[in-house]
Amino acid sequence: MNVTCKDCERIFEDGTAEEWAALEAHAVACATCAEEIRAWKSLSVAAKELRNYSPTPELWSRIERALAEEDARKARRREGQGWFSFLPNISLGWQAVLAGAFVLILTASVVRIIRGPVDHPGKPDPLLKSAALKEVESAESAYEKAIDKLAAEAKPQLDTPATPLLANYHEKLLVLDSAIADLRAQAGLNPSNAQLRYQLLAMYQEKQRTLEEVLEAGK
Amino acid sequence: MGTMGLALPWKTKITSVLRKPAAVGRWETRVGPSDHLTGGPAQEGAEPANEDAALAAACRAGDLRAYERLYALHGARMKNLARNVLGSTADAEDAVQETFLKVQRSIAGFRGQSSFVTWTYRILINTCYDARRSRLRKKEVTTDEDSEQTPRMEPRAPGAHPSLRMALERALEKLTRHQRDVFLLYEVEGFRHAEIAGMLEITEAASKNTLFQAKKNLRDLLEPPRNGRAELR
Repeated sequence: MNVTCKDCERIFEDGTAEEWAALEAHAVACATCAEEIRAWKSLSVAAKELRNYSPTPELWSRIERALAEEDARKARRREGQGWFSFLPNISLGWQAVLAGAFVLILTASVVRIIRGPVDHPGKPDPLLKSAALKEVESAESAYEKAIDKLAAEAKPQLDTPATPLLANYHEKLLVLDSAIADLRAQAGLNPSNAQLRYQLLAMYQEKQRTLEEVLEAGK
Repeated sequence: MGTMGLALPWKTKITSVLRKPAAVGRWETRVGPSDHLTGGPAQEGAEPANEDAALAAACRAGDLRAYERLYALHGARMKNLARNVLGSTADAEDAVQETFLKVQRSIAGFRGQSSFVTWTYRILINTCYDARRSRLRKKEVTTDEDSEQTPRMEPRAPGAHPSLRMALERALEKLTRHQRDVFLLYEVEGFRHAEIAGMLEITEAASKNTLFQAKKNLRDLLEPPRNGRAELR
């Protein structure tokens, strides 16, 4: 292979072994290229001056401590999150839905507290009377049974979720069940509170919708 | 700046060693790599891919011994690279520690598009530049008079040619960030262009070209002008 002085830079940039050998051979008879090669390689020799691999075992001790502390912090965060710990695992969309529902419930509760019990002629009483209460309870019970049937149908898909989406639905339903149990406990203590019943109904409706989506996703 | 012309061991006998890169086709010219392979930190190329994957898996599982192994294999080289970017041993140690923490925090998101070690070095380089920027911002806040934007290299253990090292450090600061990174990774740390491409998220050809430009600029900065070079241009 023949190389000339003009090939020097190209070979410096991306020469093959053969081209380098040819350039070195050319440099035997060409003082300019010999000087170029020498200067080029000398930069690599000089670079060694910037190399200092002296061991620093104390740095590892520092890093190890920092990693262990970070691990401990993570563990504390996980504990602190409690039943919200599933949140990073569910999709952003569902997190937004849950957050929206939470804000809605919170706003409704705050408005209810601020307004206080006001009697509006022609509007239903916020406190359920015994006859109305019985009706609500029986409707609730029937609704719950219907949802339980839906849940039974969706159970095989939720127990062994085949996709991340189904796993997210499963997590969401666990949250909804937890919230429903909580509201039911409160409603048990205060059965005439219509607001609690509305919230419970909203939770049931959300559960129904979710189960329908699970069944739809499994088709 | 003609320091290099005086200090460089120009008469040193240089053996050109051609090392086959990971990708078939081209050979990379390296000047005497064997001395830093023996006794120095392990080279990434020497690690089998399955060890890299095993290391990543163990780190993902939260095994502290895996992080210790990563440090044993690459800690010294990571610190040296950080030291050359940041100019201070204390800052370099902080950057290495921060890199390990970032690896721990984001290992769950590591999908293996590049090797685990390449990914770790990418984090280290970004951490170093974040530290440089943050230091620069602090400097701007504390004083408006000091317009120096490059890190002041603190003295370190003297090498064989301290004046050469200082001249090289000063010259490196005049290169672009990419030129400096590629020069440090290739010539100082001994990585291959394929590995550097992964670390800096550039192509292998861009890595080669950047190294070429870096060395050209370093020659201009360090060597007294000579007549012979003009003939080549």
